[in-house]
Amino acid sequence: MADNSKIRIALTKGRLEKNTVALFERAGFDVSELKSKGRRLILDIPGSGIDVVLAKAADVITYVEHGVCDMGVVGKDTIEEHQGSYFEVCDLGFGACRFALAGKKGEDFYAGVGIKTVATKYPNVTRRFFEGKGMDVDIVKIEGSVELAPLLGLSHGIVDIVETGTTLKENGLEVYEDVLPISARIIVNPVSMKLKKAAIERLVEKAEKHKGEID
Amino acid sequence: MKSCDLITPEGTRDLLFEECSAIKSAEDKLRGLFMSYGYSEVITPALEFYDVFNNKTRSFRQESMYKLTDEKGRLMVLRPDSTLPIARIAATRLKDSVLPLKLFYCQNIYRSNPKMAGRDDEIRQSGIEIIGGEKRRSDLEALALAARVLDSFNSKTARLELGNNSFYKRLIRILGIEDDENVRTLIKNKNTPELKKALSVYEGTELKGAADMLLCLPTLFGSGEVLDKAKELFSYDELLGDLAEFRQTYEQLCRIASRDRITVDLGLVSKADYYTGIIFRGYIEEYGQAVISGGRYDTLIDSFGGKAAAAVGFAANINAIADAVHFTEEITKPEVLIFADEDSLIEGILHCAELTDKGLTAEYYDGQTLSGAKDYAAVRGIKRIDAFIGTNIEHIDV
Repeated sequence: MADNSKIRIALTKGRLEKNTVALFERAGFDVSELKSKGRRLILDIPGSGIDVVLAKAADVITYVEHGVCDMGVVGKDTIEEHQGSYFEVCDLGFGACRFALAGKKGEDFYAGVGIKTVATKYPNVTRRFFEGKGMDVDIVKIEGSVELAPLLGLSHGIVDIVETGTTLKENGLEVYEDVLPISARIIVNPVSMKLKKAAIERLVEKAEKHKGEID
Repeated sequence: MKSCDLITPEGTRDLLFEECSAIKSAEDKLRGLFMSYGYSEVITPALEFYDVFNNKTRSFRQESMYKLTDEKGRLMVLRPDSTLPIARIAATRLKDSVLPLKLFYCQNIYRSNPKMAGRDDEIRQSGIEIIGGEKRRSDLEALALAARVLDSFNSKTARLELGNNSFYKRLIRILGIEDDENVRTLIKNKNTPELKKALSVYEGTELKGAADMLLCLPTLFGSGEVLDKAKELFSYDELLGDLAEFRQTYEQLCRIASRDRITVDLGLVSKADYYTGIIFRGYIEEYGQAVISGGRYDTLIDSFGGKAAAAVGFAANINAIADAVHFTEEITKPEVLIFADEDSLIEGILHCAELTDKGLTAEYYDGQTLSGAKDYAAVRGIKRIDAFIGTNIEHIDV
């Protein structure tokens, strides 16, 4: 099989990028260019046959779905919100947090028969969560700090990413229920997976081997 | 309301000149191929009743179909697929035909994709269906034809991939999973980490072995060695029987098309639930999705109330072929431009008919002045003008 071709991998800018670069370094790749990238968006890992593209989370999925990038590193949160057709082959473990349903401390979200309003940056995740419970809710899409919505009386609760819970606590909110665990995943374009199998599997194996060393 | 009269709906586009001729060339090539193998062409309506695509055994996601209603309020869709309408025909108008039926089509299908994702909602497909043939022979014929269609992409990276969902279906039955949508999606997406979690309920039960086999399915793809690996992993007799049969088909296919272009994927399961045996796909590096997709569907015609008939078929994405191949065919330029002044309008038209009858391409100039005709010929790249001025005809080289 023609497996000597270049692999192009898209990384989610920010913390996942830093973690992935650290992972590449552990795996023995030359990451000098990745560390001193300046403003460049396409970078080379010398001698590895790998190109790295830096993109926003949702765009990583778009590039991989279209096959212009063979693989991508993206959070489960983005995968759940923007579902599409690609392979999800590896749980990298880092970037761990969770989706949770939260609201004002001490209140019972499920009390009463009225329709509840939920504010979120992740309407699709929220809709699926409540569909799974057979529950009708009004979903309000918020772009910034979702915690404000229940405080201002716009919603009964929020569905959002929770890491430590500090923000919730400081604003008098608490987690009612966990929705989904989140961590960084490797996704692969289905055609690339088939046509560049050996190269992609080598990279995934290296990631599996060293992922435990990243914190 | 704001008018949308200057744009086409998202997911659709106008195809002009070169694009149009590339699609037609690709289509003609496949059409010629299928006809030379003795297939008969059918055209099914773009509009079908919703029920054709929504039934217990054959369901398309309703969000993915374009819907409208007829004057009685019945729900209709723009066909999202051509195989189901053809199965409908096989179960009705062609139910008394001599089998096997060998049909082909070149037509558009319509899918309502998520917007702003750069997907085509209108896709031109050409494909075949073999209905009522003996299973092994029909499978081989369909695969051989798919390999030939894949050749037409002229791509060095072209691969034909063979799978069979019987491995998956047997394991699901052994494990007693009734609603398999979640597991099927995980296998389809090769999501081993999540699949492992989903199957952890079998930990410590006597079904652990079967669960482990299911967990391995998504990783069993690649070249022929995968089949040796599967043989070591599988333990149930029926699975090993399926595997032996699968290997036979694979080896036969390797004698039809070259071995290094054939791959296998035992974890190939399809979104379309109607496949009942081999599933296959064609891939080229230039295109991010499968360019050929097909498989066996033995229960489909039955589900339309027809006689049960084994069937197999595939569809090729013509837009993808046209994109990948860059057909270099010249857009035909007329050889002659005909200009007629006020006194010879009829002569001009007749002259045009005369030239085209002789096999020339001749365009009738729809303007009033000879100078206009000369400018037009220059822009269009037409080398000769036949000008009717008064009663004279004058040949002008441009």
